[in-house]
Amino acid sequence: MNRLGSEPRAKLLGDPWVNSLLMVGALLLAWELLVRLLLSERYILAAPSAILERLASRPDLYARALLVTLREAALGFLYGNGVALLLATLVALVPVSERLVQNLALVVFCLPLVATGPVLRVMFGTSDGPQITLAALAVYYTTFVPLVVGLRAIPASWRDLVVSYGRGRLAMLRYVRARAAVPYLVAGLQVAAPAAVLGAMVGEFTGAERGMGVLVIQGIRSLDVVATWTVASLATVASIAVYLLAVAFGRWLSPGTPPLLLTARPSRKPSPAAAWISLGMALLTGLLILGVWQMSMDGLQLNRFFAKRPGDVWAFLVTHANAGSHRRQLFQALGSTLGVTVPGYFAGLGVGLLTACGFELFPLVRQGAMPVAIALRSVPIITTAPLVIIVMGRGGASLITLVAVMTFFPTLIACAQGLRQVPGQVIDVFNTFAAHRLKILVLARLPAALPAFFAAARIAVPTAVLAATVAEWLATGTGIGNLMALTYSTSNYGLLWSAVVVLTLVSVAGYGIVAGLERWVLSQVAPEQVV
Amino acid sequence: MTVDLASDLASRANLRDPSAMSPPEVRVVQGNKTFGWGSTQVPALADINLRLQPGSLTALVGPSGCGKSTLLRVIAGLETLSSGEVLIDGQPPAVLKQRGEIAVAFQDPSLLPWRTVESNVALAQTLARQSVNRQAIRDLLARVGLKGFERAKPAELSGGMRQRAAIARCLITQPRLLLLDEPFGAVDELTRRRLNLELPRLWEERGATALLVTHSIDEAVLLADEILVMSVRPGRIVARIPVRLPRPRQAQILRSPEFHHLVAQVSEALGLEPVLEGQR
Repeated sequence: MNRLGSEPRAKLLGDPWVNSLLMVGALLLAWELLVRLLLSERYILAAPSAILERLASRPDLYARALLVTLREAALGFLYGNGVALLLATLVALVPVSERLVQNLALVVFCLPLVATGPVLRVMFGTSDGPQITLAALAVYYTTFVPLVVGLRAIPASWRDLVVSYGRGRLAMLRYVRARAAVPYLVAGLQVAAPAAVLGAMVGEFTGAERGMGVLVIQGIRSLDVVATWTVASLATVASIAVYLLAVAFGRWLSPGTPPLLLTARPSRKPSPAAAWISLGMALLTGLLILGVWQMSMDGLQLNRFFAKRPGDVWAFLVTHANAGSHRRQLFQALGSTLGVTVPGYFAGLGVGLLTACGFELFPLVRQGAMPVAIALRSVPIITTAPLVIIVMGRGGASLITLVAVMTFFPTLIACAQGLRQVPGQVIDVFNTFAAHRLKILVLARLPAALPAFFAAARIAVPTAVLAATVAEWLATGTGIGNLMALTYSTSNYGLLWSAVVVLTLVSVAGYGIVAGLERWVLSQVAPEQVV
Repeated sequence: MTVDLASDLASRANLRDPSAMSPPEVRVVQGNKTFGWGSTQVPALADINLRLQPGSLTALVGPSGCGKSTLLRVIAGLETLSSGEVLIDGQPPAVLKQRGEIAVAFQDPSLLPWRTVESNVALAQTLARQSVNRQAIRDLLARVGLKGFERAKPAELSGGMRQRAAIARCLITQPRLLLLDEPFGAVDELTRRRLNLELPRLWEERGATALLVTHSIDEAVLLADEILVMSVRPGRIVARIPVRLPRPRQAQILRSPEFHHLVAQVSEALGLEPVLEGQR
């Protein structure tokens, strides 16, 4: 094994499992004491004992809801990852298709779940279709991206070996690429498993009859603090459990540490031609999406009243007599949402990066906290949102906090791993000069962590938008999330579809800006890391 | 069923048309190769004309970055020439490649880490569309000194052992054209000397046309029938030095005056002071 960093493992607490269990136990105890001693008069936090009591009083209710949600999540997980496998295989066999497939996959990933949910609901009726579809939509991208990287990340000589026997892409995929991509697939599935639970729960918000999402809504509506915390805790435990299940499956499938995923882009030299190709591909992607949208609606003969076409959205926002007021309504809500999303996003990124740096300076903290942080990454926004709102109220501060929390964990984990990417020998060079940890951090670890930081920052854009809109939808009554909830209940489908389009464009644009910034910064700081 | 019968059946399955079994003649005619586009164009090979005798072993020596590997890759059909042509028995490399009759040993062993040594060697037969012959694989592994390591994963082997596994993978398909791209570049000096004495025996039995890219003058003289010396960018062939040392060549040959004379000759063609080489 090559050595990454040269901190000796502290033997203080022994096994990492014991470490994590102790950490969780301490957290639960602190939580219980906090509620009993300080907050007993204020109904914002339910103690673990109260939650257990509630679970014990209605075991059938919670067990049924949990099973329903887990079933939807499992089906969505299967479909979503199946699609990811197919798309990645297509890219491996027909490399020309890569840019287009990547673009399409990104746009679909940027669709706001909160708005896609209601649209699917009107199409599917009361079936579990929306839940499963949303679960699939929530997982396919986080599997597809690492899979493409993994299928491509083979040494040139392996490729030459296959080619030197006169064999083509199919043999390359079969004998080399497929097996080489397994560790990357495993890394993707670990993120996907809890995301499927989240997708299923968002789907349940939009009018399902059973499931955890339904219980969340009921808890919020009835202002039942214990019920809200109970269902939130249950969803958290379920998410962490499916994450651990995915980890165990991954260990069985591919022993060894999963690779660190940095970027999803193929190496390409900057040139004017490449810029034009990018632009052309973006246009082609747009046209293709409009075409598929139009044709799928027509092909399924969906009612124009709720199944709007591209032309309808255009009319609603541009040519309709009231287009001006439509736009004002939409962009006002969008402005309000962005007003909380942007500060929350940057706060989450900043605090995530700083915390990861803190871990480097205090390795003992890192050992105890990293497993907990990795587990907490799996906590779905659905459960975080009501809790933050109960504690902090329904104002903008809650929203900013929520967005920050949802951005924080993925950033922290990516940066903590990125900071460890410095080769052991480099750290040894610093150690021979008796350099302080802070110096090693600034001069060696931070530059090495930049690609990981930016990879997290890119993926966090749609996550931040999702967090803000879900919270608005559920609780605060502001912004575009609330607007979508209103349009759904008042059947104002023109506005709903327009909101989907605008929000998707904003997410894609945000992703593009971060990707551009990434390219520029990496080309300045670490040209060899621009891939 | 005895092992002998099984291997006999398997080797019969691999039998090919006897005329196709003879080693091919390789020719490069007016070969030019440039990398990049427009103003960033870099010439890699210029005006290459060469002929590899059927069944001979030719060494290609030259300074780093002179295009030796590029020339080998062009002959392997892994790269195409910007102008000129490569002809193997009068046909483009793709024809031989499609029949699985070319084998390339790369600078690094490039074994697949999830396959055992045996199954890495077997992969070559699979890729060349031959039936996998387990007994032949084990025999060959024993010949290259890997007996007992058939089931080991590449990570459990030393660098030299990995390289020997890669050589076995190269030879198992009975290729008619053997292209060796500095296969011993990354192994230690002791292993390199041992492999330098083993390789000719394995090659002589098989009767393939072979091209060896190396930056070691000693290795070139020890192994080759002819040495082609290349100049630095753009790569041109600046000298052709026949090596008429008797085969099989033993370790003693390294101390013979003929050997030292040839080393000096190659050094001179490379622009090195012959005196320096002679003193080694």
